[in-house]
Amino acid sequence: MLRDITIGQYYQAESPLHRMDPRTKLVGTLVYLVSLFIFRNVGAFAVATLFLILMVKASTVPFSYIMRGMKSIITILLITVVFNMFLTPGNPLVSFGKFAITDEGLKMAIFTAVRLIYLIIGTSLLTLTTTPNQLTDGLESLMNPLRFFKAPVHEIAMMMSIALRFIPILMDETDKIMRAQAARGADFEHGNLIERAKSLVPILVPLFVSAFRRANDLAMAMEARCYRGGDGRTKMKPLKYIHLDYVTFAVLAVYFVGVIVAGEMSPI
Amino acid sequence: MGIVETKDLVFEYIRRDEEGNVEGITRAVDKVNIDIKKGDFVAILGGNGSGKSTLAKHINAILYPTEGKVMVDGKDTSAFENTWSIRQTAGMVFQNPDNQIIGNVVEEDVGFGPENMGIPTEQIWERVEEALKTVDMYKYRKHSPNKLSGGQKQRVAIAGVVAMHPKCIILDESTAMLDPSGRHEVIRAARALNQVEGVTVILITHYMEEVVFANKVIVMSKGKVAMQGTPREIFSNVDKLRELRLDVPQATVLAWHLENDGLINKKGVLDKKELIAALKERKTMGATVSDSVIAKAEASLAEQQGAEVEHKSLSEEKPLLILDHVDYVYSKGTADEIHALNDVSITINKGEFIGLIGHTGSGKSTLVQHLNGLTKATGGHIYFNGEDIYEKGYDMRKLRSHVGLVFQYPEHQLFEETVFKDVCFGPKNMGLSEKEIELSAYAALKAVKLPDEYFYASPFELSGGQKRRVAIAGVLAMKPDILVLDEPTAGLDPQGRDEILGLVKDLHDEQGITVILVSHSMEDVADYVNRILVVNDGKIMMDGEPHDVFAYKEDLEKMGLAAPNVSYIMQDLKDTGFKVGTNVTTVAEARVEILRSFRENA
Repeated sequence: MLRDITIGQYYQAESPLHRMDPRTKLVGTLVYLVSLFIFRNVGAFAVATLFLILMVKASTVPFSYIMRGMKSIITILLITVVFNMFLTPGNPLVSFGKFAITDEGLKMAIFTAVRLIYLIIGTSLLTLTTTPNQLTDGLESLMNPLRFFKAPVHEIAMMMSIALRFIPILMDETDKIMRAQAARGADFEHGNLIERAKSLVPILVPLFVSAFRRANDLAMAMEARCYRGGDGRTKMKPLKYIHLDYVTFAVLAVYFVGVIVAGEMSPI
Repeated sequence: MGIVETKDLVFEYIRRDEEGNVEGITRAVDKVNIDIKKGDFVAILGGNGSGKSTLAKHINAILYPTEGKVMVDGKDTSAFENTWSIRQTAGMVFQNPDNQIIGNVVEEDVGFGPENMGIPTEQIWERVEEALKTVDMYKYRKHSPNKLSGGQKQRVAIAGVVAMHPKCIILDESTAMLDPSGRHEVIRAARALNQVEGVTVILITHYMEEVVFANKVIVMSKGKVAMQGTPREIFSNVDKLRELRLDVPQATVLAWHLENDGLINKKGVLDKKELIAALKERKTMGATVSDSVIAKAEASLAEQQGAEVEHKSLSEEKPLLILDHVDYVYSKGTADEIHALNDVSITINKGEFIGLIGHTGSGKSTLVQHLNGLTKATGGHIYFNGEDIYEKGYDMRKLRSHVGLVFQYPEHQLFEETVFKDVCFGPKNMGLSEKEIELSAYAALKAVKLPDEYFYASPFELSGGQKRRVAIAGVLAMKPDILVLDEPTAGLDPQGRDEILGLVKDLHDEQGITVILVSHSMEDVADYVNRILVVNDGKIMMDGEPHDVFAYKEDLEKMGLAAPNVSYIMQDLKDTGFKVGTNVTTVAEARVEILRSFRENA
């Protein structure tokens, strides 16, 4: 049940997107997200769709694999759609007593849903094509100016990288603990809110104990391999812009202008 | 001077209460003097709590001596300025494969050490490539460590140390959590490092068969060095090894028995080959064995078998649990569809003691999760006491109390403040009255032989073996008819393993509980069970009594399994012309067979 979450998981492949500098991808993702929120019309979304299809193709990650990550947000998605549909003022299309689906609401719901889905696919593409280490390297490098204000940039990046590495392990562990407690007759599905919250104790306590044990082990293993903070470290994969990155920046600029033009000119 | 040298090393763990006052002092290492030469392969053996891991952590400057001195490559570990160069000289591989890999891709993890050392980028790549090739993991360099097997993960961890170009590498129980094939992989990699690269290897383990390759063995017990010498010197002292509760390889034990019987006179036999050579030599010399010696061996065999006959009589022809053509398919219809169980049909009778054997990934863990309804089959039926458990309205919680399932590393599920409360969790979920809950929890803790003084202790304060007993009691408290244990001995030392298996046997023999023991080790289960199910690729490949199953040695090997070592010894003896039966699974049987063959000679 917990195995379906693909957000934060790397998909091994050799593609232009995999080869790209993580900074380019981070900036690209940011530009893409901003572009999704400037306009809310067919024209802008058409350009965004085109760009997304291009990127998914370029990543060589199977589309079905990307979509698996959607399962985890389907509830949020449904709630947003329903709220938007019923609570937006406009001309009612169908009404159920006090509530009504309005034309504005329907439009809003569709656009919000599309925006959310694109947002998830876009960010999934980033994490699927970038190893968490590259990702943190990219963030570390982009955040480097903050060091001037005494921000612990390297430490934050290392913490993120470790968190990402242990997400799948802790997921598996949670699954196992849940099964083990269920084997002792534990029930996580029935009862009122308080009872259900209580039923989480037998899962959370062992999970925390295990996380602390792992943290302890890992800290020892890192020290044994001479880790002592960011100073004096070299990089196995130093970040370096290649030809592909400059091309991508150009494509991004064209895309951003394209969205603005299409958005301004779009009839609906 | 050696590469690693300790002088009167003492280390004390100091426990403090919440205010920081000293509560107690445990002396983990007690006046240890060792001297390891450059290029040596040294094995440090010992049970849990013998101080072997604490000693290892001194060599890497993770712990500092309370008293005495540790010198690594001529440098004192307690001087702070030496820390980093010592850690680079003596690299360390730990026990848990998951908890020591930092990188999210294999090659990035191997590069972590050189990065910390400030090595220039191009050289890091050279080192990573070379290190991964040394442990034969180069083709996995782009993989995520999460998708690798335990043995592969440990090889990556070794490569991570090798890339730092150490003079010495310490494997701190790095094989303890692995299955037999994973253990072989790691030992092979360590030997290659030692022989090809000339790296000093210090192997810390509780598996005897791994030390045969060492040129020096140090046995530790209660913080002190109990024995020291070549493997042959150590193996000739079987009495002492048994006293220290270490696991002596079957060939060595058998040779030791035969030596006591006056048949052979070679001390410290290391393996099958040496034993056979010694026997052959005696045969050509025309040695014979008197009837009284044979009678003595037969008597000791009969004593062991007597116990077996007793628990065989417990089983009746009364089906308790029936699996009828059970299928289980993961992610059906997608590209990574896995047929985890394939047409499994088994009948489990009341009172049986079953061993479920299969290598890692064979589907055995998936299979046992079907027995109590945790995983629902995608095809077929399961009947408990004649009722279909997939019938609508069937009480799954009730089934789970009848079929108690103890998971792998069950101590990881303990969560309550006290041991007693934790054991009450199961019966409480069954909706019993307060009194019944406490009575069954008490009975369960008694059954696992946990001393009374621990009943109100926090489960997190107990030792590993004790925690496991508490976890087993947590399932027993539901008074199950069938007790399923998934690898109950994983990660335990030989003494802990024997204690847990003995406990399970008592539960079967004394309380009449039907037991299903899941394991990848034939030798562990051969002495206990009366029926073996062999699982491979999600299918039941064999089902029968241990003797019958072990007769198919070649088929077992194809499935990544093996018959007990003695049955191979007997096979080889027969092939070299001895008149012995090969239908043998225990050392006692083998001893009688061999002795008899020498009588017929006369």
